[in-house]
Amino acid sequence: MRNPYEVLGIEEGASQEEIKNAYRELCKKYHPDRYEDNPLKDLAEEKMREINEAYDCLMNNRNQNNGYASEEELLNQARIDIQNGNINEAVNKLDNIRARNAEWYYLMGIINTRKGWYDAAYQNLNRASSMEPGNAEYKNAFNSLNKRNNHYREPYKKGRDANLCDLCTTLYCLDCFCECLGGDLVPCC
Amino acid sequence: MFGYVTPCKMELKIKDYEKVKAYYCGLCRAIKYNYGNFPRLAINYDMTFLAIFLDSFNEYEPKYIKSNCILHPIKKRILIIENTSLDYAAFLNTVLSYYKLIDNINDDNSFKSKALSLPMKKYLRKVPSKLKGTETLIKKKLDELYTLEGNNSLDNLDALSHSFGELIGELILSFWKDRGDKNRIYNLGYNLGKWIYIIDAFDDLEKDMKDNKFNAINSVLNKANIPYNEFVGSVKGRIEFILTSYARECAEDLSHLTIRKNEEILFNIFNYGLLEKIDSVFSKKEDK
Repeated sequence: MRNPYEVLGIEEGASQEEIKNAYRELCKKYHPDRYEDNPLKDLAEEKMREINEAYDCLMNNRNQNNGYASEEELLNQARIDIQNGNINEAVNKLDNIRARNAEWYYLMGIINTRKGWYDAAYQNLNRASSMEPGNAEYKNAFNSLNKRNNHYREPYKKGRDANLCDLCTTLYCLDCFCECLGGDLVPCC
Repeated sequence: MFGYVTPCKMELKIKDYEKVKAYYCGLCRAIKYNYGNFPRLAINYDMTFLAIFLDSFNEYEPKYIKSNCILHPIKKRILIIENTSLDYAAFLNTVLSYYKLIDNINDDNSFKSKALSLPMKKYLRKVPSKLKGTETLIKKKLDELYTLEGNNSLDNLDALSHSFGELIGELILSFWKDRGDKNRIYNLGYNLGKWIYIIDAFDDLEKDMKDNKFNAINSVLNKANIPYNEFVGSVKGRIEFILTSYARECAEDLSHLTIRKNEEILFNIFNYGLLEKIDSVFSKKEDK
């Protein structure tokens, strides 16, 4: 396809109003009705098709661009909501976003962590940091979620392991001591 | 689905161990006095924990007696009597085990559950009128849970276990009229409820998959119907992470609550007991 701006005879980056005006002018000029009994009729029809295509393309693109920009805006607003503690507001905004990028998953992960939805939070943050492995913010959030449990588990693990070690060490020392004196406490070693 | 919230026995002092036993026997007796002999069969440790927890917020020393019972006719046991926490736990024990039976019947039309639920139903009539509202709450929350269980589009276990968490949170709170620290208490109950729901699902995973019954973990995480042996390996880490997180949250909430007695038992349950149970459920899977 030719450059749609060229087809409509306008400069790139023209405003929506300019595009519409140019389109209307060209429509008048090439309208098939004006070429009813003209040998140029086929040519005019083709030109008209080209104009329609170019117009549609520019209009759609613009909508998409606009939509995308406002989603980015929503993401920023959601981030501010989270910082201010308005979790419900933030969730509403995130729900309305269709393009789910790493940041979307990161923010969702933060919300789920706050809510205590740790399964969802883990999946979200994991996804965010694998979508953008270089992003320190996402990575830190994911790591700190993982670390929290380690702190909690430590006393349970340590207490028990230490007891077991103590027991083994004591037995070993007693065995050595007895062997020094010519006896044997643990006959197998 | 009950019986997972227990203290880590090896870390418990003898006096606390005896206390837990006295609450357990006391609960059994409270069920007998408030409802009858038959519902005593359904007694479990989760409700014992609940009685201990609820009782820990008042400073009154429980009333102990020495007595024997059907199960222990010769040797007398120490038990607690005339205790409102035990009465409330007895109520929950009876009602929840009845609805559990109803759930089993709806699930797979189990004959055993049908046979047990009929006599059990008779005892529900004895629920005192001031607790009727709580019974309705249980029904409502369980219905919500079953609706969630029927929803195939959930992709995380938090969303599914949410209703059961809410149920336990609200059940604990409704023991009191109003409390200043209700958010903490609710949150503790909420996380504990989710913990019970998930550990029960994981414990039953193999059996449920074999019998083709509903299982929360299978339903949410196994959309591709992978066979048990492969599936369990792939979700183990995830389940362990979730369970530890919920348990940690409970311990965190407990540390902020003002407890008037039984501190060491509660500390033990949330900092060692839950972890020990997770380990024992996981190692059971590894042995096979």
